[in-house]
Amino acid sequence: MPERTSDDATPSAALGDRIAQGWSDRDELPPADWGRRTSSRRTGTVWLFALLITAMAVAHAWLTDELTHQAFLTWATVFTAIAFQALPFLVFGVALSAALTAFVPASAYRRFIPQNATRAVPVAGASGALLPGCECASVPIAGSLIKRGVAPAAALTFLLAAPSINPIVMIATAVAFAGQPEMVLARFVAGLVASVVIGWIWVKFGRADWLRLPTPTHAPGTSRGRVFRESMLHDIMHAGGYLVVGALAAATLNVMVPRSWLLTVAEAPVISVLVLAVLAILLSICSEADAFVAVSLTDFSPTAKLAFMVIGPIVDLKLIAMQAGVFGWRFVVRFAPLCLVVGLASTFLVGGLLL
Amino acid sequence: MNRIAQGLTLVLLGTAALTATVPTDLYLNWVKAGFGPFLIGAGAVTVFLGVLVVVAELRGESQAPDPGDATRAHVGDGVQEGTEHHTSARDHDRAVAAEYGDGGHGHDHSRAPKVAWLLLLPVMAVFVIAPPALGSYTVESTDGSSGPPPEEAGSGGFEDALAEAGPGETASMAVQAFVMRAWIDEDREMADRDIELTGFAVPEEEGEGWYLARLQMACCAADAVVNRVEVVDDGPVPEADTWWTVRGTWDEPEGELSEVGEHRFLAEELEEVADPPDPYE
Repeated sequence: MPERTSDDATPSAALGDRIAQGWSDRDELPPADWGRRTSSRRTGTVWLFALLITAMAVAHAWLTDELTHQAFLTWATVFTAIAFQALPFLVFGVALSAALTAFVPASAYRRFIPQNATRAVPVAGASGALLPGCECASVPIAGSLIKRGVAPAAALTFLLAAPSINPIVMIATAVAFAGQPEMVLARFVAGLVASVVIGWIWVKFGRADWLRLPTPTHAPGTSRGRVFRESMLHDIMHAGGYLVVGALAAATLNVMVPRSWLLTVAEAPVISVLVLAVLAILLSICSEADAFVAVSLTDFSPTAKLAFMVIGPIVDLKLIAMQAGVFGWRFVVRFAPLCLVVGLASTFLVGGLLL
Repeated sequence: MNRIAQGLTLVLLGTAALTATVPTDLYLNWVKAGFGPFLIGAGAVTVFLGVLVVVAELRGESQAPDPGDATRAHVGDGVQEGTEHHTSARDHDRAVAAEYGDGGHGHDHSRAPKVAWLLLLPVMAVFVIAPPALGSYTVESTDGSSGPPPEEAGSGGFEDALAEAGPGETASMAVQAFVMRAWIDEDREMADRDIELTGFAVPEEEGEGWYLARLQMACCAADAVVNRVEVVDDGPVPEADTWWTVRGTWDEPEGELSEVGEHRFLAEELEEVADPPDPYE
């Protein structure tokens, strides 16, 4: 994979890079006590977890009833809610992506997805309508698509389109906005247009070395079951850790930002759209639920509500953190602003035409 | 994070998901009831995967005695956590792969970034904090922010308990449905009907009067929307977050319905209830 080699040129290598450099340069033999050290470290890990479980049991017995601070409990509830609401989607997405890695040969993708990236992007956008899931599921799947040789731009389009326009999201939107079919249509069009345009922009300007793809191709002899297990473990550890980061940030903002100040700007035409876009980023609501929140923001214009539903699935704190875990920060600092700008442009365009 | 730690973290995470769903109903405080089966499935898969990883590690799967494996494992060991994917390690890996003739598989999966330790936070949240359902604090802090969605406006077809209840019967309505009707039902079908509402009490901040509130949830507690009704009665103001069933009638306003700020309910009977199993609508 040629895109991996160009990392070297980065002048601003992290400390870790330099340390890692040192390690590989030295090329020394494993120390004689290597096996023993590992096993004692393992024992240490087991003890650490035993200690943690004991501490949790003690805290459960003594501390749980003492925690009565209302704001803290509200924060904890929202955090736990986001984390556990996303968990089934994460596990489902990770399992599907591991299955793609382990059981579908790379040649299958070449048959279904055009090799030409420019033509592959709309195909990927349209197939986003097929995956019923939310953004937590699509991040690991997009990662494994790129690993299997799908053009990065097409995989990224899929990453954006799947949570924006899949059937469950469309049904949820139709239920929330009953009697307003134009809202469902506007969401579908704006989400698809934004995903495909971002994909094309990535074809034109994107650089492969911005993407970091961790999992290497597996050794030919490795059993499929083992590839499946290792791929799942890897993705859960990476995407899951960052999902918790996103949930922490979203819960904090959810509790700290009083929604009442939003109302003061609800009347301004352009500002209100931007405010709801920012709110979508901060709240990180699952794309299958955001329509119900959007519909409750009754003081805002339809275009502002559309912005909430178009931006939410493609840029939000939870998603940014998960993308950083799977693709690296160099990717996220370019991709998230791009999504925001294109998503807003698409919202204004479609909102102006349809709403 | 070594593999034993990864496996054990997954086991704990899955156990937390299972604990919140199977022996208890804790999960109803956070997500929709429909999520229960999915959480059980995800929890079971997570526990299973964690156990597999720990067992494989204890059986020494990644510690085959040939020199290629040992060198690679050593690289995974030495490189700082969180940086294991960087080029130098990869180059080294590729060199190793070239030398030993395999795909260079090994170091990449042996460790996870430090951020993965955060997966223990939801576990601690479940077992230590056991977060309760959102209640009066949320209603107060989102004061007046939301109205009911203008859905079904004009279509005339309300599908709620009031439509199902025969004339003269008491309609046991959701607070959400009541607020919706009070806001947009131009036919004013609720007028003079006996209605029953269940929700939690939110005393007004000045201490005069109180609201009966219920949170409406689409997916999880992060998207909860407040619906509340001002209760008009002669009794004392109930304590915050106590649950009540009130029976009475809608205080039909004069003038345009959509301009009413506060929906009022004339309570005739009050009954304190134990917390309903699902606190959300």
